[in-house]
Amino acid sequence: MPRYRMMYAKEGPARYISHLDLLRAFERAVRRAGLPLAFTLGFNPHPKIAFAAPLGVGTAGEREFADLELTANMPPEEVAGALGRALPEGLRLIELRAVADQAGALMAAVDRATYRAEAILSRPVSAGEAERAVAAFLSMPQILVEKKGRRGEKKVRDIKPGILAMSARVNDDIIVVEAELKTGSSGNVRFEEVLDAFREKSRLPVEGRFSLYRTGVYAARGKEKKSLWHV
Amino acid sequence: MDVIEQILPEVQRPARYAGGEWNSVRKDWDGVDIKVAFAFPDAYEVGMSHLGLQILYWIVNGRPDALMERVFAPWPDMEEEMRSRGLPLFSLESRRPVRDFDILAFTLQYEMSFSNILNMLDLAGIPLMAEQRDEKFPLVIAGGPCAFNPEPLAGFIDLFVIGEGEEVINEFLDAFLEAKRRGLSRQGLLFEALKVPGVYVPSLYRVHYGEDGSVLKVAPAVEGVPERVTKRVVRDLNGAPFPLRPVVPFTEIVHDRAMVEVMRGCTRGCRFCQAGVLYRPVREKKCETVLEQAAGLVRNTGYGEISLTSLSTSDYTPVRRAVKALVDEYARQGVNVSLPSLRADNFSVELAKEVQRVRRSSLTFAPEAGTQRLRNVINKGVTGEDLLKTVSAAFREGWQAVKLYFMIGLPTETDEDLDGIAGLAGEVLALGRQAGVPAGRLRVTVSVSSFVPKAHTPFQWEPQAPLPALKQKQAYLSGKLKGRGLAFNYHDAGLSFIEAAFARGDRRLGAVLVNAFKLGCKFDGWSEHFSLSRWLEAFRRAGLNPEQYANRRYGYAEPLPWDHIDSGVSKEYLILEHRRAMAGLTTLDCRAGSCTGCGLCPALAAEPVYAEA
Ligand code: SF4
Repeated sequence: MPRYRMMYAKEGPARYISHLDLLRAFERAVRRAGLPLAFTLGFNPHPKIAFAAPLGVGTAGEREFADLELTANMPPEEVAGALGRALPEGLRLIELRAVADQAGALMAAVDRATYRAEAILSRPVSAGEAERAVAAFLSMPQILVEKKGRRGEKKVRDIKPGILAMSARVNDDIIVVEAELKTGSSGNVRFEEVLDAFREKSRLPVEGRFSLYRTGVYAARGKEKKSLWHV
Repeated sequence: MDVIEQILPEVQRPARYAGGEWNSVRKDWDGVDIKVAFAFPDAYEVGMSHLGLQILYWIVNGRPDALMERVFAPWPDMEEEMRSRGLPLFSLESRRPVRDFDILAFTLQYEMSFSNILNMLDLAGIPLMAEQRDEKFPLVIAGGPCAFNPEPLAGFIDLFVIGEGEEVINEFLDAFLEAKRRGLSRQGLLFEALKVPGVYVPSLYRVHYGEDGSVLKVAPAVEGVPERVTKRVVRDLNGAPFPLRPVVPFTEIVHDRAMVEVMRGCTRGCRFCQAGVLYRPVREKKCETVLEQAAGLVRNTGYGEISLTSLSTSDYTPVRRAVKALVDEYARQGVNVSLPSLRADNFSVELAKEVQRVRRSSLTFAPEAGTQRLRNVINKGVTGEDLLKTVSAAFREGWQAVKLYFMIGLPTETDEDLDGIAGLAGEVLALGRQAGVPAGRLRVTVSVSSFVPKAHTPFQWEPQAPLPALKQKQAYLSGKLKGRGLAFNYHDAGLSFIEAAFARGDRRLGAVLVNAFKLGCKFDGWSEHFSLSRWLEAFRRAGLNPEQYANRRYGYAEPLPWDHIDSGVSKEYLILEHRRAMAGLTTLDCRAGSCTGCGLCPALAAEPVYAEA
């Protein structure tokens, strides 16, 4: 059945919807768009929509990926036009392409993601201070985080190997942290845990919460990131 | 980065407060004359499942001169964040403080949401008592089934709408606009609103108490105020406004589907049922109207399920034609059709078979009582034989799970009736085995709630069984309903007890509500939040006894606190029905063609409307 890959943004009110709700939101949008969505067979049919990687509730996604299967062949421009008009506030279609039947599954291909976080500073911080804080953070031999296991037991994990890159800059009273992190089945680091650890270690005067953005999701080609359009 | 954005990532299910849903309407604030905040005093998931909200939202936002935005009771975690940061209750659409609106309209669906109303007023920074509010504050209005005994809320609400909102809302908004244009005071505005039939302004009535503290009457305190307020009804549902572009939530809600109301009202006349009286006379939509509306809903919402809603959908005359047409049209598109409430007869199983071509979940029946004798008392026109035949057909058709709903503490109930519940459940289980349902999959769930006497019903005079007796009945049943394949669950009896006190409450219960609010009562319809001891304390501090309201038998001649609210059904008829109940006599439903004389049609100059099969 014809498969389409889309790059979309999840922002505004839509960033507060859970992964399951996102699936529902797309399913409904596809139906409103009048597109012939394909369903799995069996007792409880599911719409054939597959996401590259789940996004945490509250994090905005600037370039997210998902695949969608239809039961009839349609020109991608037509699919994009209809779907684009049927998406709710905060879900925005950026690009849609037809993909070949033998194209890989998105979820399996995902290897890393890039992020940005912004927060208000309660006192001025110089660019140098922010950079030094990141350098000091990354030079630690290990970055240990505690995580509650399924049965409530505490697990300690080193997330350092999963931090592929990280930087910080200051814009007036706002600090912007960017990072590239391991994502997917080959290892997964959540941006929140990185930021929590960084905040604790650096003691930068961050006020309130960070606003979180995932700026991209990628496959890997050696040490480079590779666009999900090409998997 | 505003306060709301800082809070949302901290709370459970932030989508409840984020807004921006498909079909939600954001109008230019300064471009309209009247701003209405529609408040549902429960969680988002419950409120958004309510069709009445969508209907009023559709009507008001359809007017160029008005806007309506939504607000729900914030879950306690959200409330805590809001209070600690001084964020007042805000609307979803424009995220404006509720205080800035002209009208704050509450819907009253069940008594146990009353504590949330007080909490929401407080969170909004609006004084609780109507008499403490001046022109600076929104006019606080309320409607819905609980407005038929508005007295416990009389002190907090400026004005109630009695009956069907879509019939009143435009007239009311026009009156409000007129008052605003003329620069009337709040008092003047209330008098202007009185010109709209169905409007009840509690502050213009005085309650007369007898020496023993009983209510003698609720009578006008000023001239020009009607003695009784009669409910408003929509005459023809085909022409009535119906939301073809309802708001489609982002997050999963209780009824997460496209709802087409096929009829309003129910003719069956169960004697405990308040909705059956309040929504009389029955009015069916034409099949064509239903199909058209369903088509619009599917197109505009993208829902994967259409539900044909009403109090008793299998009674809807063209139900078969409607279901067949919908399934034929939408099954291919992966859109299911569902019927929420089913009667225990063969027809219902055939219908269920038709609609469950796609997915087969459990079947639900509500025999309500365990013996035929008691079913006759409550006028539940279904026999045990019907039920067993139906269930056995259902098992043979491939269903593996059946849910049975019962009520305990019904008038005249004895142990024999409780045994009947267990007996029926056992028989259903045996039928499942006989039909060859694998033992691991066979499931019979018995759900039991407690009888609550409700205003405007034939059982309004009946006492609720005392709390210890209800608990005993539950324990008795749970001893009998054990075994493989059986599941038993029951509603919190303490909750039903407080509900009963409010269902028959008078104006003095306002003090109890204030105490309960101060003691931290909220989300009382949710058993995890409900605390009986807090409510008992609230009653104690008000010097009142909940048993006086819940567990007392009221006399026919005794004035009732809701006598000034006219549901259209005559008191004589309710007395007659109560007498027939005690004599074990059933009453036919007026659908069969012969009017049973409830008095409504002549009183309201209305009549039942049936569609062609
Ligand atoms: S007056 Fe007669 S026809 Fe009308 S609702 Fe009552 S019983 Fe039915």
